Amino acid sequence: MNNENKLSSDEIALYDRQIRLWGMAAQARMRSTQVLLIGIGAIGQEIAKNIVLSGIGQLTLLDDRILTEEDLGSQFFVSKNEVSMKRLEAAGPRIADLNPRVTLHVDTDKLRAKNDEYFSKFDLIVGTELIPADASWLNDATRRLNIPLYITGSNGLSAYCFIDLIQFDSQDTKLQSQIPTKLGKVSKNRTITNIEIKEDSNNNDKKQEIITTRHIYKSFSELLKTFTFEGLHRRQIKRMSNMVPLTLALLTIPEELNNEQLTIDQLKEYTLKVCNQGGLLKDILRDESIEQMVRQRNIEFSPVAAIMGGAVAQDVINILGKKQSPLNNFIVFDGITLDMPIYEL
Amino acid sequence: MVRESNIIQIIGETEYARLRKIRCLLVGAGGIGSELLKDLILMNFGEISVVDLDTIDLSNLNRQFLFRQKDIKKSKSSVAVKAVEHCNNSKLQAYQGNIMDTKEFPLHWFDQFDILFNALDNLAARRYVNKISQFLKKPLIESGTAGFDGYIQPIIPGQSECFDCTSKETPKTYPVCTIRSTPSQPVHCVVWAKDFLFNQLFNDLSEGEGQEGETSKDWGSDDVDEIKRIQEESQELKELQDIVRSGDMKRVTRMLEKLFVEDIAKLLKIENLWKNGRTKPVALAKENLEGEYDETLLLSVDQVGTLEEQIAEFINSSKRLMKRLIGAEANAQGIEFDKDDEDTLRFVSSASNIRSLIFGIPVQSIFDIKKIAGNIIPAVASTNGIIAGLSSLISLRVLQLLPETKDKGVLDINMAFTSKASNISNDRYLSNPKLARPNCKCVVCSRVLRGVVKMSDDGLKEITLGGLVEELRGKYDFPEDISLMDTQDQRLLIDYDFDDLQGKTLGEMGLKEGSVLLFSDEMDEDQIRKPIELYLSMGQERLVLPDLPAEYIEGQTPVREEEEPSEISANADANDGVIILDDDLPEDNQLGDKRPLDSGDDADRKRVKIGDNDDGDDDDDNDDVIELD
Ligand SMILES: [Zn+2]
Repeated sequence: MNNENKLSSDEIALYDRQIRLWGMAAQARMRSTQVLLIGIGAIGQEIAKNIVLSGIGQLTLLDDRILTEEDLGSQFFVSKNEVSMKRLEAAGPRIADLNPRVTLHVDTDKLRAKNDEYFSKFDLIVGTELIPADASWLNDATRRLNIPLYITGSNGLSAYCFIDLIQFDSQDTKLQSQIPTKLGKVSKNRTITNIEIKEDSNNNDKKQEIITTRHIYKSFSELLKTFTFEGLHRRQIKRMSNMVPLTLALLTIPEELNNEQLTIDQLKEYTLKVCNQGGLLKDILRDESIEQMVRQRNIEFSPVAAIMGGAVAQDVINILGKKQSPLNNFIVFDGITLDMPIYEL
Repeated sequence: MVRESNIIQIIGETEYARLRKIRCLLVGAGGIGSELLKDLILMNFGEISVVDLDTIDLSNLNRQFLFRQKDIKKSKSSVAVKAVEHCNNSKLQAYQGNIMDTKEFPLHWFDQFDILFNALDNLAARRYVNKISQFLKKPLIESGTAGFDGYIQPIIPGQSECFDCTSKETPKTYPVCTIRSTPSQPVHCVVWAKDFLFNQLFNDLSEGEGQEGETSKDWGSDDVDEIKRIQEESQELKELQDIVRSGDMKRVTRMLEKLFVEDIAKLLKIENLWKNGRTKPVALAKENLEGEYDETLLLSVDQVGTLEEQIAEFINSSKRLMKRLIGAEANAQGIEFDKDDEDTLRFVSSASNIRSLIFGIPVQSIFDIKKIAGNIIPAVASTNGIIAGLSSLISLRVLQLLPETKDKGVLDINMAFTSKASNISNDRYLSNPKLARPNCKCVVCSRVLRGVVKMSDDGLKEITLGGLVEELRGKYDFPEDISLMDTQDQRLLIDYDFDDLQGKTLGEMGLKEGSVLLFSDEMDEDQIRKPIELYLSMGQERLVLPDLPAEYIEGQTPVREEEEPSEISANADANDGVIILDDDLPEDNQLGDKRPLDSGDDADRKRVKIGDNDDGDDDDDNDDVIELD
């Protein structure tokens, strides 16, 4: 670490509890990163809170929406007397106040008004509350520019996150067990490319393995076109949360159907298509779940936003500090059973 | 569209009306508590009372997002409640106090709530609220985080496992000889510097070393010479204590000579210790002690430092501590180790590092030593956000507010703990097992019946122990041989061969609001009555005993908490390598550990606990002292 990157004693004192988790070097590294967060609704505010507190260098919030009465029921950083202001004008100052060390930029432009030149400034981009078409459009840009992207959203009691880090090498350290780790493919999207053996400084007769894993990702549109649950255990397929195919159905349904008029039958039709493509069992689908999804489509709910927003922020911080294995590449949260599987689709 | 339209879409109109009447108790306004308060308010719960003992500290601000720099030193609960005003739609109440204080929070105070949320950081308070939930049959959502690890456990009394149904992680202890003679890891040197050296020099002001408990120590060796040397060394510390108290700064180098030259030389003479290829320590050389040192040196916290620098740090911090001891007040009380007290931290850090250098152990920065010595648990906003989100979300199921699960039973509700972030699984972010039935061996929820005894001040003054036992025996139809114990301090009040106290009144025995009595069947039978725990709650009536069913358990075997592997303890308290000693912990084997009053057997009741300090309300200033012996 050169002096420019060294943390001040004030920073060490403030970030003490988390430096103990990821170390001074990662904390210092985070200070020089720039993140773009699109959409500052319930999940967006949770993500913003967590990464501002973590002490990243610069965060840009991009959101052009107007604050509604309804937003007050799930968003913490806004207040009743700010309704009908720009949402970002209401939430921005409160988020900035969380950590004066972080430079916060607010931008009330439309997403589609932005271009590659704009996106290229960022080390990482998180998109929330995006319609699938915008998510794909954004992902095309991040792929061109080689920028990691997270797309996340919620539907009432359930939430999802799609991750595209394009290609990412993570390093994990673990105690060597009886059977040493082997090089090679470990799952659909992950391959162990290097293993380094290190003596454990605290324990002379134990060895540690520093494992490098290469993660491969798919673009959002490719994932929706090609996803399959092949390779999952029969049991995993049988007990799969209905929220998984339903979420994928909402992401693949034609844009003109995805509105308040969406019917249970329409959603069911697309969910069955998802089951077909993914190799899922149709008889796990329950009508109540479909009804729940239609009713709760695009509804924000604070605990669910806190959970998914926490998971996304944690992964963002993790990869900015280049530590442990990142998420790969699709997670769904079911707020009734607290099920939260990670699928490599 | 209005503020509540989202929650109504999720739980429905009728349930929403119920939700608006629900009264929540939130215990802890720290890491998880800040997040929970936000979630509960946004969900529009009717009332939320927040209790926290603590004040705000700089190191809280990386995650306790309701607090700012300007709030440091203010009460957590009241700042938290103010910080949510801008978006609050619930009735809020803040209390600064210890939840275990029965004066401020008597049992009937808890009775006003419909649900309890634990957002705590220590085992004692967790167990306490768990017991309250059992006494009052109130649902409790327990939660905890440490670093990236976290868990939530909904507890529905009588129907699902309670907090104490699974045993909590056992503490890591070190044999005396490892600490005093053969350290091999940095932590051994830190324990030596903090518990042995610092405590004896600056904090233990009693004359003469107590001999108690010497026989019961875990020496980790049966080498007579070695044990003898350790005992002598303790006696010789007297010389150093005198130096410290003399205030004679010139004699500080003598401390170095004694600790790092003479004591090491004596250690080397015990040949048995170095037989099996163990690396021998190398005592400091004369020139190390006599050279010039930098009187103004202050290592930065992330610096490792050379031997010369460690020696300078040792001398400088010793002098600063000695100056403080000269003040009459400090001299009477001694100085306690506090990780946030620079002088104490630097003394422990330098002493530990000099010892490490002597034993060929890697030297650590002050930052790293602070973690070991101060029992610091890593903590981050995101984990707390996730855990609080789960806690508030699952409360909807516990309170039967979710239409989708209306007709499902308690054992269909899920608990959750982190999985991916805890390196348990690559394909699940959370593990979510369903709740289990109460453990039939649990002394908190299963092997005991519970009830509340109502009593007036007059009752307390007039009723004798003997009289109470007669009332109890009559009401619950217990046999001749019984015992009555005050669980607060494991005091045996009465049993079949100890009746000295039966003429004393309850008041004379110090019983009061919040006292918990344990009434047990002591007959030598196969089947005996299930013990009854009675909570004393002060009111208007002289004495009202609760109605309880007559239940039996197997006799003979003493009732004690079974050590069973816990499926979740690995995550619940995933902080290893930290040792703390907490004298205030309730003994978990209270039912099997009865002693007559004033038996004088108080000597070695210290227990060493691990994991009793996580990121609930971040009370990391509790007086946990690292265990030595
Ligand atoms: Zn229990």
